[in-house]
Amino acid sequence: MASRFGLAGGIPERRVRSIWDAVDSRQFKTAHKLAVGLLAKYPNSPYALALKALILEKMGKPDEALSVCLNAKELLHLDNVVHVDDLTLSTLQIVFQRLDRLDLATSCYEHACGKYPNNLEMMMGLFNCYVREYSFVKQQQTAIKMYKIVGEERFLLWAVCSIQLQVSCGSGGEKLLSLAEALLKKHIASHSLHEPEALVIYISILEQQMKYEAALEVLSGNLGSLIGIEEDKLRMQGRLLARACNYAAAAEIFQKVLQSCPDDWESFLHYFGCLLEEDMNWSSASSTDQICSSRSVDFPASKANHLTVEVFDSRISSALSFVWKLQLDIQNDCIRGPYLASIEIERQRRLGGKADDGKFMEALLNYFHRFSHLSCFTSDVEMFICILSETEKAELLEKFVKILETSSTSPIKALGQAITVFKIQELFGVMFKFPITELEGTAKRMVEMYCKNLILSRDLDLQENMHGEELLSMASNVLVLLFWRTRKLGYLLEATMVLEFGLNIRRYVWQYKIPLMHLYSYMGALSSAYEWYVTLDVKNILLETGSHHILPYMLKSPNWLETGNLMKEYLKFMDDHLREVADLTFLAYRHRNYSKVIEFVQFKERSQHSYQLSMVRLEALILQLKEKADNIEEIQGILENANYGIQLLELSNEDKLKSLTFNEDLQARPWWSPTPEINYLSEPFEEGSACLREKLDQHKVGEKEQIARKHIETKSLIPRLVYLSIQASTFSLKENLEPNGSVSDVKVILEMKCLLERYARSIGLPFDDAVDVILGIAKGQKSFKDLDSDIISWINFAIFVNAWNLCSHHPGLVSEDGCGLTSWHVVNFLVKTCTAEVLMQAQPILTNPGGSLPVLVQLVTESFSWHVLVIQSCLKSMLPSGKKKKKGGAVDQMNSPHLQAIHDSIQCLSNAIRGIQKCVGDQINKPEDQNLDILLSLVQMEDCDEGPGYVHQALAESASANSSELGDRISGALQSWNSASGLRKIIAAQNKLLSHFHRICGSKLKLLESLKRST
Amino acid sequence: MTTIRRFCCNDLLRFAPVNFDHLTETFNMSFYMTYLARWPDYFHVAEGPGNRIMGYIMGKVEGQGESWHGHVTAVTVASEYRRQQLAKKLMHLLEDISEKDKAYFVDLFVRASNMPAIKMYEKLGYVIYRRVLRYYSGEEDGLDMRKALSQDVEKKSVIPFKRPITPDELEYD
Repeated sequence: MASRFGLAGGIPERRVRSIWDAVDSRQFKTAHKLAVGLLAKYPNSPYALALKALILEKMGKPDEALSVCLNAKELLHLDNVVHVDDLTLSTLQIVFQRLDRLDLATSCYEHACGKYPNNLEMMMGLFNCYVREYSFVKQQQTAIKMYKIVGEERFLLWAVCSIQLQVSCGSGGEKLLSLAEALLKKHIASHSLHEPEALVIYISILEQQMKYEAALEVLSGNLGSLIGIEEDKLRMQGRLLARACNYAAAAEIFQKVLQSCPDDWESFLHYFGCLLEEDMNWSSASSTDQICSSRSVDFPASKANHLTVEVFDSRISSALSFVWKLQLDIQNDCIRGPYLASIEIERQRRLGGKADDGKFMEALLNYFHRFSHLSCFTSDVEMFICILSETEKAELLEKFVKILETSSTSPIKALGQAITVFKIQELFGVMFKFPITELEGTAKRMVEMYCKNLILSRDLDLQENMHGEELLSMASNVLVLLFWRTRKLGYLLEATMVLEFGLNIRRYVWQYKIPLMHLYSYMGALSSAYEWYVTLDVKNILLETGSHHILPYMLKSPNWLETGNLMKEYLKFMDDHLREVADLTFLAYRHRNYSKVIEFVQFKERSQHSYQLSMVRLEALILQLKEKADNIEEIQGILENANYGIQLLELSNEDKLKSLTFNEDLQARPWWSPTPEINYLSEPFEEGSACLREKLDQHKVGEKEQIARKHIETKSLIPRLVYLSIQASTFSLKENLEPNGSVSDVKVILEMKCLLERYARSIGLPFDDAVDVILGIAKGQKSFKDLDSDIISWINFAIFVNAWNLCSHHPGLVSEDGCGLTSWHVVNFLVKTCTAEVLMQAQPILTNPGGSLPVLVQLVTESFSWHVLVIQSCLKSMLPSGKKKKKGGAVDQMNSPHLQAIHDSIQCLSNAIRGIQKCVGDQINKPEDQNLDILLSLVQMEDCDEGPGYVHQALAESASANSSELGDRISGALQSWNSASGLRKIIAAQNKLLSHFHRICGSKLKLLESLKRST
Repeated sequence: MTTIRRFCCNDLLRFAPVNFDHLTETFNMSFYMTYLARWPDYFHVAEGPGNRIMGYIMGKVEGQGESWHGHVTAVTVASEYRRQQLAKKLMHLLEDISEKDKAYFVDLFVRASNMPAIKMYEKLGYVIYRRVLRYYSGEEDGLDMRKALSQDVEKKSVIPFKRPITPDELEYD
């Protein structure tokens, strides 16, 4: 806290110092006492009030804090107020911000600035208020005022940034840019510019208006010297020239960049794109992209047809000779750029319609000769080799293998090369076509190669990557493929063993942990998956990009505690970030890093629109509802705190859905589940899946986003529908007692109908058709198998429709005699048949990974829970508030067909859950050793030629071999490895999951029993 | 094949393969954004073909008088791109920028147990200036390593300190 002239907020500093000290040392009670004393002395001091409010807020008394702040605010507005300074205002601002009342803080500053129009400090405070509120126009106006007062460059730039923000993140038209340009021009004419970032912003303003020539002129003038790094300046010039279609000059500039930075791949692509006069899709509107050039650089599109053959040829050869020269000049073995450039040039030549003269392959082989030992070889060439035909791919692979066989190099390099060949095989999808025995052989070879080469890592530190680590990941991938093709669980068990084996030797390899987590989750060993997840230390921004490795599995599980904690941690991270980002934006303003201002605001928007954020907000509430579903009072409390589900409905409004951002980093996911929505192992193996990669790519883009939007829409309706269902059940009975339906009944019915229409749409049908479907199933005319969407959504639909029907008596859902509601029977029938169908397919989790357990969990914990809530609500309103049933009215209710329907529904749910509980219980009760024997038998080699067991045997042999030459660490790890302990872990984790679920079923049955008794 | 450019917020969404590494700390957002807001020139990322993040360096410049120095807060390289001298390249970049800012030296902290890293820094010309007791979460000691820049003509900044210090004796966080 600062003070001036020994005064703090108009009070002598010595009087407030003790309060500051108490606050700093978190002695809030003492601080409060002192603040009260201070107020007695200075009752009209806004600062003394602000201090008290600050302390009250820190003591967890927000309401009192707000009321004291409002007193202070009132004092500030008095004409005869004694003292107003920035310290008072900023203290009030802190409290208002913590109370989530930014508007009040802004209004204090606005008032003060009106009173003291030339106080720069206060104006900066006001500017900061507008930054916090993302009020770009007001930011601009305030900055201009400050600029007018002192004429400083920084305030002008604050105004210019605010204009940029109006254009890029607000509703301001691009015309505003010319205003920004004019302001800058005028300032430069009289004062020039002094900050590099100011120049960057100026160039960006010009560039966004497509005034490339003007921007180039600025850059080549005196101001250009503000850019400290010569290459950065050249890159900017190159970009501007290219955008101005002055390709020759741009190519020349990029050549210069490459001469000093030959490994700069982005500059090479720009250089080459300019030579071929390609439109390189420089991003247009986003100023940040232009400023920090963070966009992805695409390959120049292969449409160089506008060049004549002669010109195209001459450009290609000039690129080639330039690149060759770069290659000659390179003194460093690590520089790959110019060699990869040769491949790109040959690729373009090939795409340009030239007869293939083998040069493209030659460039690839050359690259292989030089860099095939590197771990990144495959990802370097990935985007080039995808254009090869199947025959060429086979030919290339053959040549790679030949080089490998004939080259004599160090063992480490030879190992790297062998790994590269395996990776290329993986990339080409060769393994999808291998016969089973060959695949088995490949997996075994990989494991053996890893073990054989452990000696190379003998002297490495535990912290360092070991040589050949990738072999185990690849072996595991092959084993999963074997499982997919043969459905033999033994392969899947071996896939987990291989990774556990690797982690036993070096526990830090995240590339093993992630696929292992997915495999365990798929096998229902969720707690084992979670244990590995915890060791990854996924926190902060990694929660946004990496939670997808575990969260979707957790959400479908009965592990509520861990799931809840995961979501809580994520939401806290996102909320903190979204709250803090405005202050950090102001920090960027203060430090004159203007490009970061724009970047931060854009990033905030991206974070705010995160798909995962919306999803977790929804799932967190749904989880709470699931946890407390057995107690209707608690459910009502939860819904009340969540504004009865209304806020969450907003997550699925059209604008929100359109602007969703997908920030998950899916790169590290296993091949068999490229996105959380896709799991190939749940589908039959497709012959000819060599083209799987392309299929994955197609899946990845549009489809994923579409599924995600649908998902949000369906989920967002649930909390509100649960709330309205409870309400509707209450009204329905009241209506029976008092036939004059109140206004709120009508409202509920109308809103429910509207939401049910949306729900039906989100599962693929108009409302009436969807009702026909559930009626069709109930009449035995349709089956669950005919439905496109998942069973859970349909059961939910039937349950909510029933609740709505209690009030609305929809034609078709009322019995023929008019006394009963068919919708109860529909729900009962659906519950019964659906449970029976799922249970019929349900196999023990131990030997049937990816089975129906998650569906059963969702049925019981979600759908059935919602239905039980409807029942509870009905019963609650039927029975008088006292526990004892009264004579008369209540007895009448007892005899009503309505009550009979409820009774039947309770019975139906009980039967369904009992069946599920039995299925789960049968699995838990098996002795662990018996389960272990079953799993071990699946990984034992049989007498036949093929089948799981080879890899297990290879691991066991390696573990038991004499390994003293590998050093204590590796040798100790090998000796301690035991396949049975890994399998035991799987069994224990599966049991944990089943036991959780068993308990939930038990508690639901208990509740239903008590409801039955009350009817 | 390394494009080195300033680190941007969006890179935070793509650096998981680098940060899953057990020795790479994932800080909170305000930490990263404070570095970006204050010292954007000291925060660079290396990108490979296909826009894959190969590694990054984050640092700052601070201090008074002869203590004005560049500081490496984190330097990390994805496992796929190790053993290619990328860390060296990134370190040189930060040293060059510190030189331009007329810093006297560059310093960094490293876990006393992280021998591979210590060896690498020594190869790059850094010396152990002093030991900071229980620097890492109150458990492991840290080594404060330094490299003098041309501004420090007499190389005074790298004369090893005689005794270990505790974290509260550090001049800067």
